[in-house]
Amino acid sequence: MLNTAGLSLDQAPPIGVPFAFFLTAPLFAVAAGGLLLWQGELILISRWTPPALVVTHLIALGFLTQIMCGALLQMLPVLAGSPVPRVVLVGRATQVLLILGTLSLSAGLLWGGAAWLTLGGGSLMAGLMIFATATGIALTRARGVRRTVVAMRLALVALLVTLLLGVLLVVVLLGGWRLSGFVDWVNLHLAWGLLGWTGMLIMGVGYQVVPMFHVTPAYPDWLMRWAAPLVAVALTVASALMATGQGAAATGWMGLGALCFVVFAGVSLDRQRRRERPRLDATLLYWRSAMISALLAAALWLAGGRAELVGVLVLIGVGIGLPSGMLFKIVPFLSWFHLQHRQVATRRFDVRVPHMHTFIPEAPARIQFGVYLVALLALVAAAALPAFDVAPGVGKSLARLGGFALVLSSGFLWFLLARSFWRFRGFGL
Amino acid sequence: MTRAPLLDVRRLAPPEPMERILDALADLPTGGRVRVLHRREPFPLYDLLRRMGYGWRTQGAEDRFEILIWALDAPPSQAELDERIPC
Repeated sequence: MLNTAGLSLDQAPPIGVPFAFFLTAPLFAVAAGGLLLWQGELILISRWTPPALVVTHLIALGFLTQIMCGALLQMLPVLAGSPVPRVVLVGRATQVLLILGTLSLSAGLLWGGAAWLTLGGGSLMAGLMIFATATGIALTRARGVRRTVVAMRLALVALLVTLLLGVLLVVVLLGGWRLSGFVDWVNLHLAWGLLGWTGMLIMGVGYQVVPMFHVTPAYPDWLMRWAAPLVAVALTVASALMATGQGAAATGWMGLGALCFVVFAGVSLDRQRRRERPRLDATLLYWRSAMISALLAAALWLAGGRAELVGVLVLIGVGIGLPSGMLFKIVPFLSWFHLQHRQVATRRFDVRVPHMHTFIPEAPARIQFGVYLVALLALVAAAALPAFDVAPGVGKSLARLGGFALVLSSGFLWFLLARSFWRFRGFGL
Repeated sequence: MTRAPLLDVRRLAPPEPMERILDALADLPTGGRVRVLHRREPFPLYDLLRRMGYGWRTQGAEDRFEILIWALDAPPSQAELDERIPC
């Protein structure tokens, strides 16, 4: 369970630090949706087209990594009793460099140009190194919730490996180095980023927040003990095989890592089915769609399905879905938590702090999920169509519909998060 | 004295248990008590109660804790302290 015994209100970072990340992230999803609306067919026809690479990085860095960085800075002191040193400075520097890096890299991938790629790679390297160093220090001091801390440490190492591989790929693109088996190295970069950084962090955070927010039984200890370390071992062996030119064997080990996440997804669905309260809120709907997307993506990948379809399921289904659902809990919880803190600090016990669920009411959150689901289903269908050799006009319309729905749902997500923050700011305490 | 109504927050997700308890305290008549049934020991609540001028007594273990809360200027009798909530 959550270690609330050691929870200290004073250790939490200023609310502006995580909120800056959370309020910026949806704008990158809007941009990704806009690109899909504009060039959706091109993006879903091949993962190697420049706009496909841009959409991938807008989501993976601009949306997903942005939220994960903000959440880690917030959660480390609360979950593990270990504040991140100089958290305001680290938060601001990480975010500015992450935004600059994502935009520059996207410009470089879309239009070419060594300057954009260099600026993008350099900014991302600097920003994520600052983040990894500060959170790494906090994670060495962390206590309690051991399984979660181990998963977070491994996720942070995976972030660094992803970053190094990404910079290596930028150097290759710039013509500074020749690399045999370029596609395999891209796949390795993807595996460390999606299974390692994202997957292991989802596991570590999930072990705490699923039982807490949905009052479910705890995850089984065998899973918490082995899942993240096994992913790390699988990715490490895959990397060693790749470096020695054994690409096929490396793919097999990546499959083992994917299987670990499949087990985690299955157990998550089972825990949520056994929750204490039968209510199905927007967060739970997002968890379900994300875990089902992960299971489908793994099955398709293992069966040799279209990479673009796997990409849509992982990036839109899990990468946009799961953080969106989590934000519907995290943002109201933090708003409530900080108001409660302020009430104690000012001893204004005559004022009633608004309930958490009033910050983001359930009805608009469900509508937002519905619009997002239209985006996911339309993009899944558009990515699947080439495999069935259907008329190209259908795929184009579906891709554009998906892009449009993603713009709408992400814009709506931003509005709901911003309104929660305004409500927090406007409360007279 | 009439028995204080029971607040069963065992099936609620955080922070709903604390919200319900603080609501009940805000509506507490003079000399009244709040009796809570919780699935874990609510340590963050204790800190708040101390600062707000309330006393409390917790009994129980594992996933069933009974918490009796009162204003410090109206302490409970020994009989109230000894009373247990029937399972």
